[in-house]
Amino acid sequence: MKVSLFITCLGDAIYPRVGEAMVRVLARYGVSLEFPRVQTCCGQPAFNSGYWQEARASAKTILDAFEDSDFVISPSGSCTGMVHHYPKLFESDPVQLARAERLRDKSYEFTQFLVNVLGVTDVGARFPHKVTYHPSCHGTRLLGVKHEPMALMSHVRDLEFVPLPYAEDCCGFGGTFAVKMADISGAMVSEKVDHVKETEAEVLVGLDMACLMNIAGNLRYRGEQVRVMHLAEVLAEGAGLA
Amino acid sequence: MADIKRDAAVGAATGSGSTRAEAVGSESLPAGAAAGETLSEERAVTAGAASGSGDAPADPAHAAWLADMERASRAKQVTFMDGIAARLRHARTTVKPEQPMRGAPDFWRAFDWTPEERIERFQANWRSVGGHTERVADLDAAGRFIAERAEELGARIIVRQDQPELATLGLEAAVPQAEVSVWNSDGDVYWKARAAEADIGVVLADGALAYTGTVVVRSAPGKGRSVSLLPTVLFILIPAERLGTRLGEALVPMDEAGREALPAGVHFISGPSRSSDIENDLTIGVHGPGVVYALIVG
Amino acid sequence: MSAHKGRATVKERAELALNDEFLVKAVKFTTERLRNGKKNASAEHGNWEEWRERGRQIRLHTIAHLDYYLNLFVDNARANGVHVHFADKGEDAVAIAMDIAQRKAAKTVVKSKSMVSEELHLNHALEGIGVEAIETDLGEYIIQLAGEMPSHIVIPAIHKNRYQIADLLSEVAGERLEADTTILAGFVRKKLREKFLEADIGMTGCNFAIAETGSMVLFENEGNARMVTTVPKTQITLMGMERIIPSFEDLEVMATLLPRSATGQKLTMYMSAITGPKRTADADGPEEMHIIIVDNGRSLQLGDPEFQELLNCIRCGACLNACPVYRHIGGHAYGSTYSGPIGAVLTPALNKNIAEWDDIANASSLCGACYEACPVKIPLHDMLIYLRRRKVETGNGKAIETAGMKGFAALTGSSAAMKAALAIGKLGQRLVVRGGEIRTKLGPLKGWNSYRVTPSLPRRSFRDRWEKLEREVGGTRPQMAPDMQRRMEEIVKQREQGGGGHGGH
Repeated sequence: MKVSLFITCLGDAIYPRVGEAMVRVLARYGVSLEFPRVQTCCGQPAFNSGYWQEARASAKTILDAFEDSDFVISPSGSCTGMVHHYPKLFESDPVQLARAERLRDKSYEFTQFLVNVLGVTDVGARFPHKVTYHPSCHGTRLLGVKHEPMALMSHVRDLEFVPLPYAEDCCGFGGTFAVKMADISGAMVSEKVDHVKETEAEVLVGLDMACLMNIAGNLRYRGEQVRVMHLAEVLAEGAGLA
Repeated sequence: MADIKRDAAVGAATGSGSTRAEAVGSESLPAGAAAGETLSEERAVTAGAASGSGDAPADPAHAAWLADMERASRAKQVTFMDGIAARLRHARTTVKPEQPMRGAPDFWRAFDWTPEERIERFQANWRSVGGHTERVADLDAAGRFIAERAEELGARIIVRQDQPELATLGLEAAVPQAEVSVWNSDGDVYWKARAAEADIGVVLADGALAYTGTVVVRSAPGKGRSVSLLPTVLFILIPAERLGTRLGEALVPMDEAGREALPAGVHFISGPSRSSDIENDLTIGVHGPGVVYALIVG
Repeated sequence: MSAHKGRATVKERAELALNDEFLVKAVKFTTERLRNGKKNASAEHGNWEEWRERGRQIRLHTIAHLDYYLNLFVDNARANGVHVHFADKGEDAVAIAMDIAQRKAAKTVVKSKSMVSEELHLNHALEGIGVEAIETDLGEYIIQLAGEMPSHIVIPAIHKNRYQIADLLSEVAGERLEADTTILAGFVRKKLREKFLEADIGMTGCNFAIAETGSMVLFENEGNARMVTTVPKTQITLMGMERIIPSFEDLEVMATLLPRSATGQKLTMYMSAITGPKRTADADGPEEMHIIIVDNGRSLQLGDPEFQELLNCIRCGACLNACPVYRHIGGHAYGSTYSGPIGAVLTPALNKNIAEWDDIANASSLCGACYEACPVKIPLHDMLIYLRRRKVETGNGKAIETAGMKGFAALTGSSAAMKAALAIGKLGQRLVVRGGEIRTKLGPLKGWNSYRVTPSLPRRSFRDRWEKLEREVGGTRPQMAPDMQRRMEEIVKQREQGGGGHGGH
């Protein structure tokens, strides 16, 4: 059984601690992750901007990287969601299309794998903090990841959960959108942070580092001290694995 | 009460007589015993009247122009439909295609309430949108109720549909200070204007649905569309046995009866006219009646 | 026309809107109320997903056989005594409407809300031949007085406050009206009553047209659409060619989806099914009735697998209320008749001028809230990407972005290239990193850093740390529990047997 880690660009370059936390949590259940070094980016920035030719170049590295994996686990609903778009990218190429469909079917976002495949909802963590949660759009709407993080958080001891008002609203990241439409994106992230502040949470948890980088960026810009963490980090830290 | 005050203010602003809506709706009649009278089915008015019966234009030049338009339109129809079929990349579909899903889901068709539940839910829905509703034992009681309200309102003009059930209300005698007109009963009256100046309209529902709190009224020579629309205050009488549960109970029979059985207007009314277009502030009675009574009879 | 006219791009118009405090507040407040209303109404009704799927299937089927159903509708409407016309383009529809108005020597036309009429800019054309066209929906009347476009499909004057409205109406009244909703609405009721009674023509849109009976159906709350179809002697209905559904039985599904999605109501106060002109012995209703069936770019979507579903739209506005971008910038920033997510796709699709309108397609974070809210499940978030792709494929991409994306492909096409780039990045950031953060507003980070702080690249990336990490956890990793092992094997086996995927769409 080959279980591979799809680290994603942000996970590799900016937030290596998230990948580490995932590896440690999964290792606890005997999952031996394999890390194919040829992987790069899922191609989402190009795909979403309409540059499908360029997106195919990225996609192919991912198809190659995970060719013989049985399970592909990523810390991002958005990047896993992008893999779900691959068949569209290769519609007119039967060989690549078959590979794309295979990869789609074996790709999982971290909590999907932990909860739905391994059947784990209690990692034995304790995290004595007030926590709120931002459900990222692509994870919830594209992959349908909704109950998994809730199940995991509800089993963390001493974690005080405060629902985030208008949680399902986009944080305004949207990849190149944040650059092309900076003012609209800025207004959206500011509103999101207003809602985070309303909860008076100490920690904001999410499942996608792109969104969390966006929200954290605005929190820091405004001098807010709210800690921003991937759920994998909460679980690892809470279980004494960090 | 806020709503009713609003009704009153709108009524006053329209200048429609001495309408004092705040006096209305504060009392209620006890729900009556079983209906003493049977409400007869509405007369069949649609047969033969349905097809192509817009009034023939008096002006022959206009008629000729319409005929020209018609010829051009029929020719255009062919190319228009051919164009659609070509875009859809199939030959013109001339046989009714198999429709994989038609109408509401099966579980919904099986859904029904008991007669008592229907009344309860209908009234709850009607009230929730700012309508007024009462149960009355029979048509006599309904007539008395309307007369009392008409007196409170100081109504001067009442228009009612031309239906035997409404004739038995005896409004002419019961509201002596008001002029009671029977829709379309006199060829010399401009009926739309009459309805527009009326303080009160009285109609009999052809059907009603509890789930959405909706009344169905069908147009006919004796049943003006204006009567349920133009007066400031509207009374709708709903014979209890005509109250169903789901919207589909009124819609499916329209298909079954077919095109030729349909009147020009079938109106589904679910409460008073309303708008939230100004700063989301709910306003009642913006074009249609602001005070609407649904009287469940029997 | 619009307050934002003259601003070339969505970005510029959005900037104006974002700085209009009342606008932002009003739009947020209203869309908030509407989307909560929708959520409650759909939850209260229950089985919402099943109703949605039902609605989608009915619309898909009708559009897939539009030649049959539209033709059937036309034949039946004619049999009902309606004069039916076809307009390939907007101008054709305008010409037909003007022809009828001139034939009827009409002085005034009273109109109920019609997005098609907005799309054709019909009022302007009618005024050109001396016919007064009066919008009678309260919100539409207000924006007509202001000389603006609707900024929301359902709440056209969402962007105006009561003081602005009082100013507009006071001018009509010739006296000072208090900025009180009841007084203002009362004035409009009185004023428009006169207009309804004296108008020569009533003009409407069409929510649904029933193919099997030739009937047209209107949903409304105010009663003005009933006025327009009851009082004037001539009725003209403008109808998009895709408004068809087969039967009244199908209308039950649409009547379940539309009001709940639009305003959170179980049903609008009025739903009217109009089947032909008045019968001879009737004392009200139009004597002459025309229906103008409008294409104006709609047929371009037929047979296009990526955009045909656009024709399923029932114009409820739920996607506007759900859209975080719309909520921040309002409708006028979209610069066209249709705003919000549906407008961002529909406008370029109807006009087939992707290059010109792609700007709008960029004003989305692709969050998918529109799709989730849509009662007939139109994948608007995917369509926005298709629009962007078509612009690129037709060679209309911005030169700088095209160059950037080529670079992106070169980098991400090889892990070695990406690693090298990362190394350069780490070196380069030394110039700007302060305390682990980047705050500079110069260069490419200007937009981003106007609202945020950028994290710096850590010294060692994940791939740099991998070997050490693997050694560390490898030493303590237990054997996997047999049940987990079994489950994983089972999943792989199912997949091989063609069991396909899990989750997602």
